[in-house]
Amino acid sequence: MIKSVIAIILSVIAFSLSAQTKISGLVKDDKGEALPGVNVLIKNSYDGTSSGIDGSFSFLTEEKGKQVIVATFVGYKTFEQEIYLSGKELLFSIQLKEEINQLDAVVISAGSFTAGEEKRRTILKAIDIATTAGATADIAGALNTLPGTQKVGESGRLFVRGGDGNETRTFIDGMAVLDAYGPAAPNTPSRGRFLPFMFKGTSFSTGGYSAEYGQALSSALVLNSKDKAEMNQTDIGLLSVGADVAHTQVWEKASWTGKVQYTDIRPYFGLINQRVDWKTPPVAIEGSTAYRQEVGKGLIKFFGNFNRSSFSLYNHDILDPRLKQQYELTNDYRYGNLSYQAALNSTWDLRSGLSYTLSQNKVKVDDVPLNEIEKGIHAKSVLEHFVSDRVEFRFGGEIIDRSYEASRVDEGTNQTQTLSFRESIAASFAEAEMYASKRLVAKVGGRYEYNTLSLQSAVDPRISLAYKPGKKGQFAFAYGTFRQSPKNQYVRVINQLTSERAAHYILNYQVINDRKTFRIEGYYKRYADLVKFENGNPFLLANTGNGYAKGIELFWRDSQTIKNVDYWISYSYLDTKRDYLNYPSAAAPTFASSHNFSVVYKHFVKAIKSQLGFTYSYSSGRPYYNPNLPIEKFQSERTPSYQDLSANVSYLPRNWLIIYLSCTNLVGRDNVFGYEYSAQPNTSGEYISRGVRQPASRFLFMGVFITLSKNKSVNQLPNL
Amino acid sequence: MKTGIVIFLMSLTLTTFANDTKYLEVMTKNIEAVYKGQTIEELQQAVNALDRVANAEKTKWEPYYYSAFGNVMMANREQDAIKKDGYLDLALTAVEKAKTINKNESEIIAMEGFIHMIRLAVDPATRGQKYSIMAMHTFSKAMELNPENPRALSLAAQMQFGTARFFNTPPTEACITVTKALEKFETYKSENPLAPVWGKGMTEALKKNCQ
Repeated sequence: MIKSVIAIILSVIAFSLSAQTKISGLVKDDKGEALPGVNVLIKNSYDGTSSGIDGSFSFLTEEKGKQVIVATFVGYKTFEQEIYLSGKELLFSIQLKEEINQLDAVVISAGSFTAGEEKRRTILKAIDIATTAGATADIAGALNTLPGTQKVGESGRLFVRGGDGNETRTFIDGMAVLDAYGPAAPNTPSRGRFLPFMFKGTSFSTGGYSAEYGQALSSALVLNSKDKAEMNQTDIGLLSVGADVAHTQVWEKASWTGKVQYTDIRPYFGLINQRVDWKTPPVAIEGSTAYRQEVGKGLIKFFGNFNRSSFSLYNHDILDPRLKQQYELTNDYRYGNLSYQAALNSTWDLRSGLSYTLSQNKVKVDDVPLNEIEKGIHAKSVLEHFVSDRVEFRFGGEIIDRSYEASRVDEGTNQTQTLSFRESIAASFAEAEMYASKRLVAKVGGRYEYNTLSLQSAVDPRISLAYKPGKKGQFAFAYGTFRQSPKNQYVRVINQLTSERAAHYILNYQVINDRKTFRIEGYYKRYADLVKFENGNPFLLANTGNGYAKGIELFWRDSQTIKNVDYWISYSYLDTKRDYLNYPSAAAPTFASSHNFSVVYKHFVKAIKSQLGFTYSYSSGRPYYNPNLPIEKFQSERTPSYQDLSANVSYLPRNWLIIYLSCTNLVGRDNVFGYEYSAQPNTSGEYISRGVRQPASRFLFMGVFITLSKNKSVNQLPNL
Repeated sequence: MKTGIVIFLMSLTLTTFANDTKYLEVMTKNIEAVYKGQTIEELQQAVNALDRVANAEKTKWEPYYYSAFGNVMMANREQDAIKKDGYLDLALTAVEKAKTINKNESEIIAMEGFIHMIRLAVDPATRGQKYSIMAMHTFSKAMELNPENPRALSLAAQMQFGTARFFNTPPTEACITVTKALEKFETYKSENPLAPVWGKGMTEALKKNCQ
């Protein structure tokens, strides 16, 4: 009995000893280079080892029979192979394949600037938008310090690469926004309606963007709103031009933020002289709300905004400034955006959204009313399929429906005249992003659009390539055709006008080296089907205009070399001409300046707990036409150059308090954006000019921001 | 026959016992290795071994926890910011897996906050706002789950020191937390033989800022 037990035990021991299998071998990468530190193991067992400096490994296992050997290493695809363990030594040569979605892989870069907190490889971070001097916390203001933009001081909008301000379209969470800028008095800059703190990421494309974005001729500004908030807090802002209060409430799976803002510039204008002859300076009340709800693996976002602003002023006649005309404006604005995004499974993502915009302008010119109302709905769904780590496929469809109506009372007949249109655009797009290797990526896609107003259907191809020959630098190329309906003021006259078109060719080289960025980009853009006045008649419109823009742009950013200092420098050269509207021949448009240069400097001074910022901007003279000269000299004159030095200080005495002070145009330069000429010549037969200038030499802004929360380490810094 | 059954039963209990012993043995060895590892290579070896255990044991949170800890230590030793982020990504993935096994373990949540804190340190100027909120929020959650956890307190104190230093205010709040953390290091006992024990030295060093 005992003998047999011993025999059994002995045989068990003997068997388990003999069952130990030695596994050894070498791990290499695609290029045959040895990989150290690779985890080699038998699946579902403790047995395994790490490969050595020379990529070799060797270990013993007690497992037997059919097993799986696994090799894992960060940046490489997991290797798995079935093996049979019998005690006989096994020799392996393992080759690991590179995974593409790695931090150092090549990325599509031509034409685009992305800003986000998360990724390191971004050119501009979300917080930069808030802390750029001279931008006064306006998204467009901050992006105006990037290459590809032109400073158009009297507008405040983004003018990109010889394109008009309306050629840049804004998208929030993928959904179109109509009328993304607040109302402004004639020749004074308007501000974006959406504040930078709402967004976790910004992607600003100056050309060659994805087929997902349509109805944008020159540029797409894509803003991604923040996800669910993490903690309850109340923010109070006391500003030199008003006040705001916001509250955020957080639940397990949801969060809600509400904000009310009141802006009244009157007290400020009482202190600082304005060039504008205000009757009632701008007053605005604005409310916004954001709600986030996590549903399973998805997130529902709602954002709503309402704004009512009004002002009135006197326009003075150029010939006889004593003659004045009263101009009154009230703007009502509503924007709602509902979106849902979810991972359907590990390889499919869904994004869906619905947005609604209503913008109504009630204007009175010497008490004669003129009303304008635009409503739009945008519905869109996008599916993304990750075929592998090398191939991603994206396709979707959308409908943009908008209606516009302008009406005015004719003084003579006392009858109401109405001009209106309703346009529906149905579009679909498909795009594939393919990595040939970590060094080479291509994005190929197309966009189909059908317009019910022009009865036109069209396909626009979009192609992007990027190649990274070494460790840091990469080359990129982009080509695409783009279309956009003409401005409302033209479509309302001739409903059948077709889309204006542009083709972009972009070549780019960039090096992103941890905290330094260098970038050079050249482009050529061809415009076709631009709206033109036939025989100079503004009621005879046709798509017979055309034009071009070409240029070279440089960008350098360094936040590494000098401690606590971050600066960037942009330069853009632009050569553009267009033959459109009332132009007698191809000429440079009034908003186009040949040279734009800006330097942004930020310095955090620990001793005074403050961030100091300076921005210097330069734009060479802008073209204008002096009607006293013959028509051959159309747009031949140039304004003086534009220069501005702005500064700001953010002082953080306590972690719940920020005091913010900013001033534009420190030296008080009298910038002239262009000239207006009298409609009629004076008695000596001469047209009299008047410069379009800044409403005031400087804009001074002061704010005190208080954050109340349970956690005292929170402040409103990113809101600034 | 009878003997056969007895042996079979014995070997069964022996195997389970042996498995547990083996688990404790392998874990103890590698936990020691992540605590003591000086170079990235040493740490990587220990992390690999812990990942193998995690892969074999489907119901234990400790291998993931120490794998995360090892990755954080590697991030601390790495100079290149992109690679640092890579290690922190791996650490966070491990923490997420540990959370699916035991979602109420204060130590795991404290580790999650630790990862946010190190991520903040990679680029404080741009990440300060977001990650200081996330880290503090996570530490509060860890303290709620287990008010006795000295590591949650110690890590929270580190954040409070950072804030006080930034605003040049006296670190009164941080010092209260540090004192409390040191008390808990003395009194905190876990029944889990693999429970974390790190952090006391770091807390004592913090305490020096309070004199």
